[in-house]
Amino acid sequence: MHIPDGYLGPYTCAFFYLIMIPIWYKAFRWLKNLKPSQVPLLGVLTAFAFLVMMYNMPVPGGTTAHIVGGTIIAILISPWAATVSLSIVLLIQALFFGDGGITTYAANVFNMGVVLPFVGYYTYKFLSERFKLNEVISAGIGAYIGIVTAATVAGIELGIQPYIQPGYCPYPLRVSVPAMAIAHLVTAGPAAAVVTAAVVWYVKKSRPDLFAMRTIARG
Amino acid sequence: MDRVVKALLIVIGVMVILSPIGILLVWNSQGAWGEWDVSTVEHMVGHKLPGMEKLSTLWNHAVLPDYDVPGWEDKLHASIGYIISAVVGTVLVVTLYYLLVKFVVGKGTS
Repeated sequence: MHIPDGYLGPYTCAFFYLIMIPIWYKAFRWLKNLKPSQVPLLGVLTAFAFLVMMYNMPVPGGTTAHIVGGTIIAILISPWAATVSLSIVLLIQALFFGDGGITTYAANVFNMGVVLPFVGYYTYKFLSERFKLNEVISAGIGAYIGIVTAATVAGIELGIQPYIQPGYCPYPLRVSVPAMAIAHLVTAGPAAAVVTAAVVWYVKKSRPDLFAMRTIARG
Repeated sequence: MDRVVKALLIVIGVMVILSPIGILLVWNSQGAWGEWDVSTVEHMVGHKLPGMEKLSTLWNHAVLPDYDVPGWEDKLHASIGYIISAVVGTVLVVTLYYLLVKFVVGKGTS
């Protein structure tokens, strides 16, 4: 899901930098709400997000996909914490490992650091609070819908590029959206659901207070 | 130390050691959709993409491109390169995170 430099034209890239400015402002200000005891937790979760993205999984048809970890951070701490964490991870990945890009950095943060954790978190919250669905199951479904939505949004960004300015990503929406969505529906989505549910189950069992703390820290 | 943080530290250690799974499982694949290099895309669509050619070379100072030591191409070397990348990346993201917490937020990191 890391859009490399060259796939999105200057206008598209600039558009996402503009969108990200207020979101980054809000997310970095949110960091002040982080309780001292949550500081090391977000640190290890940031490392976890970096590492989990190295686990590429084969997708039927010959491509690959990976999970992101954004919904886990959103549920254990806050979706804003996930935005900060993934902004860090995606910057390091682009600069040091050539994964993603400099011009596409804001678009990639928007997809993996905003769409993914917020959709994942609110799906989880909606299912567990409105429908009183088990929190662990809600977390798994949230992670699944979060990553599939983020991948679909990335597919839309890539697929509208030919109509905005040709010479960059050559694939139209009818190719890019199914390609991105299916890879995550069949491979990364189920993996994200299982990993997220397992982590939430473990944390709920060993530190139920973290869930209570998250509610206070959100305000 | 917090039990969850401690458990996650163990998970992180295991993930670093087992990271080569992340390339060995997909060794013969064509990589993630839409992350191919310019020449591959141009070959697939059958024409030049001038915009992509220009922007794609903007940043070529990645120290460990594709999470590998340049030139380490066989499975064994690529796996070692991948583990090195996992360690380097983990150190970098955690360092940047603590710098952010310390200097931007001004909160103790103890």
